[in-house]
Amino acid sequence: MIVKLLPKNSLRYNLIAVTILLAVAYFWVYPFLWAISGSFKTQAGMFQSGASLIPQALDLSNYSRAWVTAGFNTYFLNTVLYSCASTLIELFKSALCGYVLARYQFPGRNLLYKLIVATLFIPIASIIIPQFLLIENLGLLNTRTGVILALSGAAGALYVLLFEGFFRGLPEEIFDAAKVDGAGFARTFWLVFPLAKPIIATVIIFQFIASWNEFNIPLIYTISQPDLRNLAVGMFSFQGEHSFDWTGFAAGSVISFIPILIVFLVFQGYFVRGLAGAVKG
Amino acid sequence: MSKASPVPSADYAERQQEQESRVVREKSRQGKGRTYLWIALFLLPFLLLYGAFTLWPLLATIYYSFFDWDGIQPLTSFIGVGNYQELLSDPLFWLSFKNTLIFAIANTAIKLPLSLLLAIILTRKWLWGKRLFRTAFFVPIILPVALAGQIFSLLLNPANGAFSAFLQQLHLIQGPIDLLGQDSTALLSVILISVWQVFGQYMIYWMAALQNVPEELYESAQIDGANAWQQLTRITLPIIQPVAVIISLLAVINALHVFGIVVTLTSGGPGQSTYVISYLIYTQAFQNVPFRYGYASAGAVLFAILAFLFVITQAYIGRKVGATDQTAPGHIEKEQKA
Repeated sequence: MIVKLLPKNSLRYNLIAVTILLAVAYFWVYPFLWAISGSFKTQAGMFQSGASLIPQALDLSNYSRAWVTAGFNTYFLNTVLYSCASTLIELFKSALCGYVLARYQFPGRNLLYKLIVATLFIPIASIIIPQFLLIENLGLLNTRTGVILALSGAAGALYVLLFEGFFRGLPEEIFDAAKVDGAGFARTFWLVFPLAKPIIATVIIFQFIASWNEFNIPLIYTISQPDLRNLAVGMFSFQGEHSFDWTGFAAGSVISFIPILIVFLVFQGYFVRGLAGAVKG
Repeated sequence: MSKASPVPSADYAERQQEQESRVVREKSRQGKGRTYLWIALFLLPFLLLYGAFTLWPLLATIYYSFFDWDGIQPLTSFIGVGNYQELLSDPLFWLSFKNTLIFAIANTAIKLPLSLLLAIILTRKWLWGKRLFRTAFFVPIILPVALAGQIFSLLLNPANGAFSAFLQQLHLIQGPIDLLGQDSTALLSVILISVWQVFGQYMIYWMAALQNVPEELYESAQIDGANAWQQLTRITLPIIQPVAVIISLLAVINALHVFGIVVTLTSGGPGQSTYVISYLIYTQAFQNVPFRYGYASAGAVLFAILAFLFVITQAYIGRKVGATDQTAPGHIEKEQKA
């Protein structure tokens, strides 16, 4: 069946397309390759090699320097904690809210929906001051809880809309069946929640990447507690008084983007389907 | 209502009625109060965080914008619309505003068509190595902005950066070139690097939208002898048009909020040639002593209003264009819906 759908000259198409794509993709990922190769170079080699990706002399000490001396072991654990916690909170609150918005009418429902849509327009930079004052007044400045709260507080409008769209599109029969089985409010939600796998994957990818890479929040909220920083902020510990440790920095970059790459590869299949299901409405 | 929502649906009203009647049935079966209690319980986690970290900060920002306030002294010096008057006559505000608009328009105009083109190619059934290419083009977005900025600063460094070395090897330029250090090229470089960074996100959006186009339509079009361009303009674009409006809205909104890439690449320079609004707000509130929270807040409010007007105009144009588009290949649209 699939063979029949292929154009007759698919081999020729592929030779042209794949060649062009490979060339473009090479330049596209070049900064990554450059960082990866830099992480194995010596300090001197980094600057003599120009655009070349092959290290002249191998230097593995960059990784141990990044991991131990620059404190990446601590930053790494912090980042894992921040990302996992804020992703779980986002999933929890946006799934519940999206479900209720999709399935029930209640006073103020339309107002809430419009407010959530309007939130998409607000520039984050513009509300950072009151958010900071709030965390400070709660006594959560320079704590892990403060960082996690700030990471999971502001985002989420898009996630609610994704869940709302998905639950609205579910066939009525599923809910009727749940009712026949005598399932109540919470039990019905628990039954249909696993169906939202594509949306769950989308939220996990978006929020995990966003909080893993977040720079401003961990910087501002841990200003006097450097050991609470995440990898993105920790990167700047390679900035010395007069010099910048570029090869250590490159090794740190590799340490910080490999886990995200794995998350993306694992959830990639669901990701596109999740968005497709949501935009179908 | 349904059109304004990012998740449009033709039969939204119908479903809402369905929902209402279902709720009525439910009410007769079990207590209305109990259902409302569950609804409140389900909404609580979102509302708490939303209220604390979005709604309240928004109102507070508007309130602060009427004060001359450094964030430390008590909030006493009410100056009415003084901050707004100062902003409107501040050349740096208008320069930042102009740069932000240029950034948003150019960034969107480059990233959207290119990512759509790539999404179409990467969803062809006959293509080899789809997963590899998808990952390659998505991957820049997993790089923290701060890191991307550092890496590009070094790559574009005129003294020993890889970019200059590469162009000189090809004999395209004679001496080293400083793209981020010149007024004429700094903003353009920032725009292109930002395209590189966010590209994958839009490619995924388009791929999701393209899943709604049934493969059979292409097959029958091919039998009718339609070429690739006709298939694109007569089948693909009309079907994904409603989603395209949303994707371009998100694209413009995200581009208007540009911040991190400017901080890490140019810090607004050289001079003030790459100042954008978010960066202006940031410098006024957190960098330039004495801090001016009130002034920065006014800038944020004014910008939110201007951005909102800009986006509304875009949505209006998008919908108008969409309405005329749909009349042309009408029969396909109707077949699709039937």
